[in-house]
Amino acid sequence: MDAEIILRVEDLRTTFDTDEGLVKAVDGVSFELRRGETLGIVGESGSGKSVTNLSILGLIPSPPGRVASGRVLFRGQDLLTLPGPALRAIRGDRIAMIFQDPMTSLNPFLRISTQMMEPLMLHQGLGRRAAKARAVELLLLAGISGAERRIDQYPHQFSGGMRQRVMIAMGLSCNPEILIADEPTSALDVTIQAQILDLIRELTRRTGTAVILITHSLGVVAGICDTLCVMYAGRIVERGPTRAVFAAPRHPYTQGLIRSVPRLDRKYQFVSCIPEGDTEKGPERLASIPGQPPVVVNLPECCPFHPRCDQAMELCRHRHPPATDLGQGREVRCWLYPEGAGHG
Amino acid sequence: MLRFMIRRALGLIPTVFLVITFAFGIIRIAPGGPFASEKKLPPEIMANIEKRYHLDESVPRQYVRYLGDFVRGDLGPSFRYKDFTVGELIADALPASMLIGALALLIAVTGGIGAGILSALRQNSWVDYTAMSLAVIGISVPLFVIGPVLKLYLALKHPWLPTSGWLGGRSGWLVLVMPVLTLALPYLAGIARLTRASVLEVLRADYIRTARAKGLSERVVVARHVLKGALLPVVSFLGPAFAGIITGTVVVETIFAVPGMGRLSIQAAINRDYTLIMGDVIVFSVILVAANFVVDLCYGFLDPRISYS
Amino acid sequence: MSPLPATPAASDDPLTNEFSQALRPVSLGADAWRRLRRNRMAVAGLVIIGLYALFTLAAPWLPIHPYAEQVVAHENLPPSLRPAGELMLAARTAYLTRFRASEDRAGFNAEERDELAEMARAIRTDPVHRRHYWLGTDNLGRDMLSRLLYGGRISILIGLVGTVTSMFLGILLGSIAGYAGGTLDNLIMRFVDIMYGLPYMLLVIIMMALFGRNILNLFVAVALISWLTLCRVVRGQIISLKQAEFVEAARSMGASPARIIFRHLTPNTLGVIVVFSTLMVPQFIMTESFLSFLGLGVSAPLASWGSLVAEGAGVMSLYPWQLLGPAAAMTLFLFAMNFLGDGLRDALDPQSKGRV
Repeated sequence: MDAEIILRVEDLRTTFDTDEGLVKAVDGVSFELRRGETLGIVGESGSGKSVTNLSILGLIPSPPGRVASGRVLFRGQDLLTLPGPALRAIRGDRIAMIFQDPMTSLNPFLRISTQMMEPLMLHQGLGRRAAKARAVELLLLAGISGAERRIDQYPHQFSGGMRQRVMIAMGLSCNPEILIADEPTSALDVTIQAQILDLIRELTRRTGTAVILITHSLGVVAGICDTLCVMYAGRIVERGPTRAVFAAPRHPYTQGLIRSVPRLDRKYQFVSCIPEGDTEKGPERLASIPGQPPVVVNLPECCPFHPRCDQAMELCRHRHPPATDLGQGREVRCWLYPEGAGHG
Repeated sequence: MLRFMIRRALGLIPTVFLVITFAFGIIRIAPGGPFASEKKLPPEIMANIEKRYHLDESVPRQYVRYLGDFVRGDLGPSFRYKDFTVGELIADALPASMLIGALALLIAVTGGIGAGILSALRQNSWVDYTAMSLAVIGISVPLFVIGPVLKLYLALKHPWLPTSGWLGGRSGWLVLVMPVLTLALPYLAGIARLTRASVLEVLRADYIRTARAKGLSERVVVARHVLKGALLPVVSFLGPAFAGIITGTVVVETIFAVPGMGRLSIQAAINRDYTLIMGDVIVFSVILVAANFVVDLCYGFLDPRISYS
Repeated sequence: MSPLPATPAASDDPLTNEFSQALRPVSLGADAWRRLRRNRMAVAGLVIIGLYALFTLAAPWLPIHPYAEQVVAHENLPPSLRPAGELMLAARTAYLTRFRASEDRAGFNAEERDELAEMARAIRTDPVHRRHYWLGTDNLGRDMLSRLLYGGRISILIGLVGTVTSMFLGILLGSIAGYAGGTLDNLIMRFVDIMYGLPYMLLVIIMMALFGRNILNLFVAVALISWLTLCRVVRGQIISLKQAEFVEAARSMGASPARIIFRHLTPNTLGVIVVFSTLMVPQFIMTESFLSFLGLGVSAPLASWGSLVAEGAGVMSLYPWQLLGPAAAMTLFLFAMNFLGDGLRDALDPQSKGRV
């Protein structure tokens, strides 16, 4: 855990101009990534997790979207201010990104070979033959048998899981220092999910690549992430080593999330109407966090979680909580832990 | 792939068949025989003419006879221009129409795709707004308005171009400019709009985001990743565009006195020249059907999801 | 662990959310209207079309000259704010001047002077010469402005009738094909495919030539063409919506197929239908004008924009306003409809440009 920090995001803010108003999709996000670390970013839809990572690589569609402020330091350079060619040299080569839906993320009109050879030829200067050979190697590593034959096929000729393997192989082809994986398993069957996660873990451990894994599933995070960031309404509400956070979550949202994951060693009821007074005995009801995540337009100054929070205080309705360092790599944004409140 | 082609080819036959039947039927039902407008001829001569053109036989027999002739490539003699067969008349007129049609299509496709891509890449800039406004004008102004207006300003008010005529005359190839331009403009506009919309749509696709995430330059992204997908709808449109151009030749040839199939067809319709009408309709149909077939094939080639499934 | 938390005390007003912010209820139609309003070109198009509709509809009551009345003495007058009599006299004088110049005479002879004097007197006495022809006259002395307005009535009417007929046919057959699937779908689609392959315009031209030029034939001919594309589009929409969950729900509640088609599926395709129809009206007007231009459309004394353009094209070197007037009127209308159609398409499709 004392490896050097290779990526530092400082107070990143990204906004979108929509018909309904200015959407602050990312509203002051800061975190660090160490070499070889696997960082999980967890949140519901709309929490800003994807936008954060797209902002890092400058992939936010620019007419409606804008990175409003902040710094993203990679190897001493601020990626947000890098000129085009320099940023493009890093994309795919030093920092790679793979996406959620491999059917739409691969170009249906180009062969797999063409698509895989592009980063190899561009960033590593390989010739066509060398690039193709290397691509075949990578596909084999990613678990696609018969790669020499299949590499000349088109994406629609592969199954969903295989396509994601192709994406992973493509992402890791130039041995990047950081792999950003945006919900890599959300579009896949459950049985395939495990395989893909294993593949990511194995390949990145081998090459020492750091991983930022974006997901909405706590199970995935528990499986392979060293560190965990929980996002809500565009902000990181809790951050820390995965084990520690799971063992003792501090933020009410995190607590709610963990509580709502069904456990194999408990019994649950699935009936929606229970007469009052029956809940104490027998099987429990599945807990869930009441309410919905907010639409992040024109939010007033407050803690965005307060309407759903069972420990909300008056202060929560009027001021936004700052980040509090709880020591041992843990951080939380909640008025339950005001600045200087001590260690957890 | 081959199966796909054969299946498509077979689908053409019912269409051509239907056209022949339709043409045949319509003309037989229509009032007025081919000679109704001329002065009355003596009965013996009428009988002779009827015999020569097989009008004395029953309608079904005439139909079968016509089909038989058609298969052998004989479209019969013209009712009006008694010295010529329909085949000869069409062969005479077809090249002119094909020439302006082909040129117009070429201009429409290259100009339209170019303008569309440029507008899409510079979305919301003044280039975009100008081009798209011009395009809306292009699809709003009918051919038969563009034609005379062009003629008014380019040939009459300022004698830059000849008002009519054809190749081989004094003005040489200048004679082609106005008819081709008139015919091309609406389709250039339509293709430009379609291309722009299509490129914009593709630019929003996930796989373009992936391409950018790999560090490719914008130029490579557009040339290698965007174009193929974006041009597919345009290729689909080429079928109807071609049909429209065929129709348009009728107007353009009338306005600019081009000796082509369009003008021939109108004359035939007005003169009630049965065989010539049928011949025209069939030839046009066959061309259209063949063009649609080629377009379908192209689409199949370009979209790997079709050819490799 | 604490028991389930009580719902926080939010406002009970359904129009505020949990942050006590006012909510604006937005229906699909209201949302689309808002977006349309912001598209200036589309709004301009809407206004223009409204004006056209107003003027052409009100034509019989407007203080304009009767469109079929011929005043031969007023033939081919240019558009002007001056009264007709003056223009007539000026034109005749100019002609006689050129004539005498060609004969190398310095002044008018007795005959010519008498003629001009007679004309001047007629101008003072006969009220018809005090008319104003703002857009000029045609070769039979008919007022171009009136002809434009009445021609507009015909053209727009044909556009609407054709569109409505196509819509009806297209939606009906498309819905049936899409919902029924299987053989019926195949049959209908094969039919459509074959129709697509025919050189329609040519057949229409021929039909019009052979069967005569009356309005009914025109309507039939024009309406037979464009339902094909709408049919395909509606079918496509229905097919994709058929799988949607709300259809399952309706079916599970016992709705009959007809009910499902017309109460549930068709409203959802409404957006597409509206856009398509707006873009079809110009097509129809162009088709009708095209036929009229070729002499196969409406016949005199009725006029449509197409026939007016045809007449104007014949004399454009001498009297260009007879071409430019109708051409401009028609073009402006089509232009406006196309912008409106584009605007509607952007407004009804939530995934249009720039939206995230």
